[in-house]
Amino acid sequence: MAVTGYPRPALAPGESISARIGCIERLAFSYPGSEAEALVDVSLELERGEVALVLGRSGSGKSTLLRSLAGLVPHFHGGRFSGSVTVAGLDTRRTAPAALAGTVATLFQDPEDQIVFDRVASEVSFGPENLGLQPGEVARRVASSLAAVGAEHLFDRSTRDLSGGELQRICLASALALEPQLLLLDEPTSQLDPEGAAAFLNLVGALARERGMAIVLSEQRPALPLEICDRVLFLEQGRLLLDTPRAQAIEWLEENAPAFVEPPKAASKQDGEPGEVVCELEGIGYAYQSGVPVLENVSLELCRGEIVALAGPNGCGKTTLAKLACGLLEAQEGRALCHGRSGYLSQDPGRYVVCERAEDEVALGIAGDLPRARSWLTELGLAGSERRHPRDLSSGERERLGLAAVLATEPDLLVLDEPTRGVDPERKRELGEMLRAGSEGRATLLVSHDLAFARSVADRVVALEGVRADA
Amino acid sequence: MKPSAALALLGACVVAALVMAHPLSQTLLAGVLLVLLMQTPWRRARLFLLGIAVSSFGLFLIWPLTAHVGSHPLWNGPILPVLGSLDVTREELAAGAVQTLRLATVALAFALWALRLDQDRLVRETRLARRSVLIVALATRLIPTLERDAAGFVEALRGRGVEVEGLRGRSRLLAPLVASSLERALTLAESMEARGYGRPDRARVARARFSWRERTALAFSLLLIVSSLLWL
Repeated sequence: MAVTGYPRPALAPGESISARIGCIERLAFSYPGSEAEALVDVSLELERGEVALVLGRSGSGKSTLLRSLAGLVPHFHGGRFSGSVTVAGLDTRRTAPAALAGTVATLFQDPEDQIVFDRVASEVSFGPENLGLQPGEVARRVASSLAAVGAEHLFDRSTRDLSGGELQRICLASALALEPQLLLLDEPTSQLDPEGAAAFLNLVGALARERGMAIVLSEQRPALPLEICDRVLFLEQGRLLLDTPRAQAIEWLEENAPAFVEPPKAASKQDGEPGEVVCELEGIGYAYQSGVPVLENVSLELCRGEIVALAGPNGCGKTTLAKLACGLLEAQEGRALCHGRSGYLSQDPGRYVVCERAEDEVALGIAGDLPRARSWLTELGLAGSERRHPRDLSSGERERLGLAAVLATEPDLLVLDEPTRGVDPERKRELGEMLRAGSEGRATLLVSHDLAFARSVADRVVALEGVRADA
Repeated sequence: MKPSAALALLGACVVAALVMAHPLSQTLLAGVLLVLLMQTPWRRARLFLLGIAVSSFGLFLIWPLTAHVGSHPLWNGPILPVLGSLDVTREELAAGAVQTLRLATVALAFALWALRLDQDRLVRETRLARRSVLIVALATRLIPTLERDAAGFVEALRGRGVEVEGLRGRSRLLAPLVASSLERALTLAESMEARGYGRPDRARVARARFSWRERTALAFSLLLIVSSLLWL
């Protein structure tokens, strides 16, 4: 993706590229109805042209910090707010988020939830039109921001027809069309494959350098962002533990939060031969309603005791193959056989909770066996949350609840679709250890963009490329 | 097509459906709208068609039971408090069919409006009641999202060995679906506000002139209203 066609912001006479753009002073914030503080006594400054990477465990306050810079905290969410946040001289407490829109732009985690319009051109022009710009200027910004993210060819496309990666780029273009001085990115690569994520982050780095905008980026896959950032912030339970340039930050992380810098250690793999075949996929072909084949002639065997990771670029058919393996889809060509019970953990499982108590959610798949459900909740670190409403849990806790609900069924074939999306490195390590610990009694198929995680936990990695398997 | 021309066509179809007296004219109008609707992608049209079929069939069932006209009874039922005698006559069936056709025609016209109109253009060009128009456009977008979410719920449950079957099983998904939609709506609202939605100085999108096609649509709308009032 090339950075083209987007002018640098005009600087005032005498203003240098390193001028301060944002300042947070002694910020403390609690969400409505919550006793715990999401942010505690946070102070920092942001300068034009720098990329600040925000790291921290799930629920440490990363997203809240970004929302406070956009003015969404406290204006949109309410809650208790003390201290001050100033962006380009505007106090966010006195300036509504909409009024900050020409100065700050935010890209949220899930691109699907941010789309307002049907057409890409309308979507990208939404922000500039809200700013009251002339039609000619709106058109120029739409064209230049689409060019900046390498998506000019999507101008006339319907947003309904775009892939996750394309949608993410359109959302970034929508943010860039505001020509912000401060760009906030909340886990922007969580749905992208490694190549897509690298291209996206390189683009972000280039934008900061070439246009002088400050970028604050939160990520759960820190390896790539650590290469492009200038500075690292580390949050823990709402407190800013670290705010330092990248080089020193890496030393600090190695000492205090090694999971964020070290590649995941390979868990002890199984010794000897795997057990009997649990799932057989032979010459599988599949196409959705559009008729375009997603899979052609794919064969794969999964044995008891082994963990197989399925990798490949966005849209190559990984999820389709996973669903075929566990019987959620029927093969149109070839043969798919599963000997025994299968369990499938979908992407974003926290969204698909149906019961009003966590223990009921887990018990649903095991004929209402509440004692067993509670023991699985404890196993997944959710002891004490048994009677809480699943939607009151944090996003990380909801992901674990979904996993507990599937593991409780004790499947012979366990299929996990992107289980590390939005999961912090320490939780990933725990998840890897848990999968390995329980792997003997089942076959496990793991679909993941997170190659480091996949390699650390799987006995073998199968790469899907385009419509053909490269196993 | 410009939203104003599409609105004129929608209004004309609704007026015609309500005032047309001859069943043949009504059938013809409903048939034309149905054919046009069938030309939209099936995946998008099927939910609208299902809704229209269910509501029309429901009206056809209820109408003869609640109306009290006609002298050719086909079935004599019990006498209930408030509703009175539950009988069905030939005249009630005929009147029920006419009302059903009216409902179906109006619903088909709205379905076509929702599916064929460029909603983006409608939202961007509207100067009157823009918030309401935006809400309608977002609600229209919500239907496929709901459909996708419902499929996601069913899949997540099947992944745990729980089959969602029958009306009761599916009705259990209603509350989680609403909760999920509310979560999506909150994120969308947050994202819109962060992109400047609600600022008073919003730009006005230049409106294009009426094309010959749009002028024809306006003329046809007028003709449809006049002819349904006078002759059909």
